Amino acid sequence: MKNNSVHYEATKNGAFFMAVPAVLWKLLFLYVPLFFIMLISFSKSFDFAFFKNVTLENYKSLFSLSYFRVIGRSLLLAFLNAFFCLLIAYPIAYFLALKVRRFKNLLLFLLALPFWTNFLVQVYAWFFILDHKGLLNTALLKMGIISQPLHILNTSAAIYIVMLFCYLPFMVMPIYSSLLKIDKFVLEASFDLGANSLQTLSHVTIPLSASGIMTGFFLVLIPSFGEFVIPALLGGGKVMYVGSMITYFFLETKNPFLGAAFTCLSGFVLILFALLIYVIFKKLFK
Amino acid sequence: MKMGISKRITPYLLPIFVGIVYLLLYTPIFVLILFSFNKNPISYRWDGFSLCWYKELFASVEILAALKNSLIVAFSSVLLSVVMGLFYVFFGASSFLNRLIVFFYGSLIVPEIVLAVGLLSFFTFFSISLGLTTLIVGHTLLGLGYVVPIIRARFLEMDYRLIEASFDLGATEKQTFFKIVVPLLYPAIISSALLVMIVSLDDFLISFFCSGAATLTLPMYIFSVIRSGATPVVNALSTMLLVISSLLILILTSLKMKTRIF
Repeated sequence: MKNNSVHYEATKNGAFFMAVPAVLWKLLFLYVPLFFIMLISFSKSFDFAFFKNVTLENYKSLFSLSYFRVIGRSLLLAFLNAFFCLLIAYPIAYFLALKVRRFKNLLLFLLALPFWTNFLVQVYAWFFILDHKGLLNTALLKMGIISQPLHILNTSAAIYIVMLFCYLPFMVMPIYSSLLKIDKFVLEASFDLGANSLQTLSHVTIPLSASGIMTGFFLVLIPSFGEFVIPALLGGGKVMYVGSMITYFFLETKNPFLGAAFTCLSGFVLILFALLIYVIFKKLFK
Repeated sequence: MKMGISKRITPYLLPIFVGIVYLLLYTPIFVLILFSFNKNPISYRWDGFSLCWYKELFASVEILAALKNSLIVAFSSVLLSVVMGLFYVFFGASSFLNRLIVFFYGSLIVPEIVLAVGLLSFFTFFSISLGLTTLIVGHTLLGLGYVVPIIRARFLEMDYRLIEASFDLGATEKQTFFKIVVPLLYPAIISSALLVMIVSLDDFLISFFCSGAATLTLPMYIFSVIRSGATPVVNALSTMLLVISSLLILILTSLKMKTRIF
């Protein structure tokens, strides 16, 4: 800290304006546009006159069951996706953090790899598995488990499956790092005091990794809510989700006013929902 | 007896479960790579090895144009975000601007589609025509969200006395920046540049909203082709992209292990 003050003296008269472009960039292209969306949602004119034309009409025309159904559907998708991710990610994170010794770095790398490779390619690859004549149907037919090929592509089942695998690393990573921080002696103490492995898991390990669980849950929940690509490509485009609805308003019907109002409305619902989840988490892991 | 068997199986349950998930995670990608070498143009039936889709890939004018756009956008946004981010970290460290660090985490919390829609409205409002420039603006915005936290974390870890010594010995800020700070932050600069590169090449949503009708990037091209019925050329293209991003990630990870950047 004391060093900081010296540094302050050294560059006080200097070029602090060099730091301005980055801040300005963020301000101009992130926060101003977000503010814009809010303004537009209360207006009908897309220029400097929008202060004169303040209206609630956009929100009024959104007040219909079909729009609420879209938001509800996305909320359900986001919640279930986060939930299933948690169920699958926790054992993986547990294994990587506490069990495995050899190949640990390789396993971590392999987990992160699909996450950083091209997202669209990853989604596209699932077509080969889920298609009418894809790997899954071929294998199941050959094994005689089914007699007719399953229709998975272009249904919500496809959306749920692919979402699960695409978002899994988001959940594993924070849980993994919270599990790493647990003192091994605490687990040993639990066993020494007579708890079996299930009791240790539910009374010691899971509560101690609560912060990782929560971070992972939100890291999956929030982007899943606005997901556009997966429903658009694998859902057949028949069923609307929040992401597809926003795209529809802005790019297809060219109605930024309704689009902005819908964005704000669904954002508001998402924030409320996230707060609810947060409160539940706090109650669970008090 | 039954008890004995279940006890013997239990320790293997977890590794088996993890193995299955990894298998499921990678099967689609392997099948995709395999089928990019498939002779058969229509179905998912294996008809023999062929490189014809790769030949077609490199002959396609549309794909090359998309690749060019993607590369222009990626390199520009890497350059812009790294330079601005670096300037922010060093020159802003001692001013009130340092407190604005929270600004840079914003794009990680807001869903990307909201960012994209916001940018689109912003450009439309000021009648800025969409194209490569607006794409670069959007990708630089994403990039700054990665560059600033990474470089700053490294900067705060740096031995501060080196900068002090430099000033005490009479170096100007410019000299200190180029001769002390940049060399010491080099690993962080390289890895954040790679990260922005990966993010930019991968990005679909911002490109989809901010590029206008005429400018296609590679992910947008793939999206439109998948939507209108994929051709095997997309398999070849996807495989190439997988190879390129895997290589970038491999470099990134090896850097990370050597220098503990994150």
